[in-house]
Amino acid sequence: MLRARNLLLTAGAVALTFLTLGGAGNAFAAKPLRVNGSTTVNPVVTEAAEALRAERGMTIHVDTQGGSSGGIAALGDGRAEVAMISRPLEPEDRTKYPKIRFQPVQIGSDAVALVVSRDVWDGGVHALSKEQARGLYEGKIKNWREVGGPDRRVVFFNKEPGRGTWEVFAHWLYGDPKKAPLVNLPEIGANEEGRNKVSSTAGSITQLSSSWADGKKVFALAIRRDDGKTVRPDNVSIRDGSYPLSRPLSVVTDGPPRDESKILIDFLLGPRGQELVRKQGYLPLAAQGAARQ
Amino acid sequence: MIGRRWDGRLEMTAVFSWGFTSLAVATFLGMLVLFAAQSLPLWRHAGAGFLSGTTWFFRAGQFGVLPMVYGTAIVSAVALLFATPLGIGAAIFTAELLPRGARRTRLAVKTAVELLAGIPSVVYGLLGVLLLRDFVLRLLAPWDPLSGDTLLTGGLLLGIMVLPTIISLSDDALGGIAGSQRLAARALGLTRAETVLKVILPQALPGLASAVLLGLGRALGETIAVFLVIGRQDNQWPERLLSLRPLTEAGQTLTSKLGGSETFLALDDPLHWGAITGLALVLYAGVALVSWIGARLALPGGGRA
Amino acid sequence: MRRSVGRGWIDRAFWLACALCAACVGVLLAGIAGAILWRGLPVLRPGFLTAVSSEAGASGGVRDEIVGTLILITTALLVSAPLATGVALVHAVYLRSLPARRRLLVALYTANALPSILFGIAGMVVFSRFFGWGKSWLAGGLLLGLMILPTLSVALIERLRSLPRKYREAASALGLTRAQTVWSVLLPQCAGGLLSGALLGLARAAGETAPILFAAAVFSGAGLPSGLRDSPVAALPYHIFVLAQDSFDPSVESHLWGAACVLVGLVLGLSLLALPARLRAHEEAQNA
Repeated sequence: MLRARNLLLTAGAVALTFLTLGGAGNAFAAKPLRVNGSTTVNPVVTEAAEALRAERGMTIHVDTQGGSSGGIAALGDGRAEVAMISRPLEPEDRTKYPKIRFQPVQIGSDAVALVVSRDVWDGGVHALSKEQARGLYEGKIKNWREVGGPDRRVVFFNKEPGRGTWEVFAHWLYGDPKKAPLVNLPEIGANEEGRNKVSSTAGSITQLSSSWADGKKVFALAIRRDDGKTVRPDNVSIRDGSYPLSRPLSVVTDGPPRDESKILIDFLLGPRGQELVRKQGYLPLAAQGAARQ
Repeated sequence: MIGRRWDGRLEMTAVFSWGFTSLAVATFLGMLVLFAAQSLPLWRHAGAGFLSGTTWFFRAGQFGVLPMVYGTAIVSAVALLFATPLGIGAAIFTAELLPRGARRTRLAVKTAVELLAGIPSVVYGLLGVLLLRDFVLRLLAPWDPLSGDTLLTGGLLLGIMVLPTIISLSDDALGGIAGSQRLAARALGLTRAETVLKVILPQALPGLASAVLLGLGRALGETIAVFLVIGRQDNQWPERLLSLRPLTEAGQTLTSKLGGSETFLALDDPLHWGAITGLALVLYAGVALVSWIGARLALPGGGRA
Repeated sequence: MRRSVGRGWIDRAFWLACALCAACVGVLLAGIAGAILWRGLPVLRPGFLTAVSSEAGASGGVRDEIVGTLILITTALLVSAPLATGVALVHAVYLRSLPARRRLLVALYTANALPSILFGIAGMVVFSRFFGWGKSWLAGGLLLGLMILPTLSVALIERLRSLPRKYREAASALGLTRAQTVWSVLLPQCAGGLLSGALLGLARAAGETAPILFAAAVFSGAGLPSGLRDSPVAALPYHIFVLAQDSFDPSVESHLWGAACVLVGLVLGLSLLALPARLRAHEEAQNA
């Protein structure tokens, strides 16, 4: 029969279990490696983590909440050991987290392209200048006619704040993302969502990783530079930097990589990791001469 | 009262029961206090301007809640406009209008409705992304929408989600009316329609109202499904409040903002985090109020409580 | 007896309108079930349930996600059941006045309707940051348990209310103390109610994304948790939520539907287990 004494003993046992779990939990558990950040870099790092997990039994947690800036914030807060970013580190990052010695390691390159829907492409818009891009972003150019395209309303889907893609774009247009004007545009989170939305909306444009523009559903525009040259986002122009919106894909640690972080980063820099970079359509570091279709 | 009178010893069961209940109550109230406390930087900075502001630019420190309250209100209104007639009509059909001996059909329908209510919101979100979005895009084609992610899409998806709640609770409400009422009405020569419309419905009204209110509560608080199909466009405050134009445009609700990436970005900025928890506070208060009214209607004061 | 024609027409029109509503609802349900099954069943090979997710969700299975979801709902049950029992006992046994009992019940209904995202945000503040747990399975379990507490409490209260008074009277006549009555008479009779309420609550908890979004779940790399701090789990709803936005590959879409199928199957399975008891109780209440 249940009596108060038995009840108390049970409660005490349960409480003791919880406390043990909480306290000793850290002692015997291998510390997991926590990775957080860009959804562009994510597929590469996730597959690398899967391989390391299967072969070496490592525990690596990968997450993408908040994009590139979210990854930096997680690293700065101590919520992650490795951040994935798809933009260069900015002075603002360092000032926001002065105690962190940010050490980025580039694992590949990629570019931000302005991709448009089929009707815009077929209607004749194949390139944009910086002024035109600015006009489209700020809503001053409302119809594709004004840039040589079809008579169709412009729909600009904006990449979410905090995404590396957006920061690279804002950096190109305004020199500093903080100087970007405040705009009211529908937002897109990750790359696939962007591709889906643009391909299903007539007259639309968005910022997207160039390797996601497949030329079938969405089309990447070339950039008309100040000197008049038109540069398409392909491997050559990304490699030699003539495409203004190319960006490094990097992983960042606090100080030099140690222990598990080092294992992961060495893997990413090694042949298998670089193959993963290539598999996703990004430009690997060694960038052999073979051009992709 | 059951048992012997309290004889001065501590009754462990009572201690534990009251202890657990106090813990539960404290936790729920604690959440409210938590949001209030964490949002203090915002209130100090913006004061009541937060509640009346119509712009949200976090990089510039501007925080206004109205466009999101508007989005929440519109989306819930659409959901209720869709689900209330459909749900009450279906409930009336199964409760009143089926032939007497169709007990198995009624059981089947009730089971189906319960199962529909159990489908997780993320699966509804998936259905919304892959199916509803294109449907709405084609539906709204004459009005040339930007994309299929609109307030209307969010409202329709929510309507489908609260439909089971409204059906189930309406069915309970209708079932609570004594059968003798129906017999008397029919004996007096009223048709089925007249019985329902003039005898049953007026009596079931509090129960039906509570069904709608509890459905509304669910609509107000739904995050994941709305997040995926609403377009997430800030500052959508209409020029004319009663126009239908915003239905064809993207918007933002309290829940879609909270479930988004800004919540992570805001963690290190006290003001920004204060704004986010301010939203949580507004959401908590709003849903609690609506649900409290619904619950009071559902539980009549003079009954067995 | 002759009815005026108008009333007959109204009656038929009304019947038709209501039948139409019911038909619409039926079509919706069939459509939803059909969509999920049609797209998801082809992916459900046995290996899907036992394989780990690979290629960032493009292939493999959902083993870790299933395990994670099971861990979360088990913890939620363990947290919620004692608390719910306490609340139900307070309502049925220890509160003397009718208005007080009604206020408790109204409070439970209100708490039941609170948006789940609020639990997620509160959990992030309290567990992830204040306690320093980072992302932890226990945080997820606690939050989910708290979320389903009102559901379990109400189910138990309903069951306690429906117990015939003669049980309590007999116990009293036999000289049992209040505590003895609770443990020997009331609670054993309510085991069924607790079970069905628990199953319903778990069904809801299994499908929730928002509470675990910030404080408990990660997308990749979490198997069985080891310890308390920084021990997240993978979970089916979170997996689906991330993939729904971030699908990297056309082949991800079919796996997405497979995961959705598994989740819906789990949730419906739990609900169906509770159904007989609930329908019986419903009928009892209707006939009372």
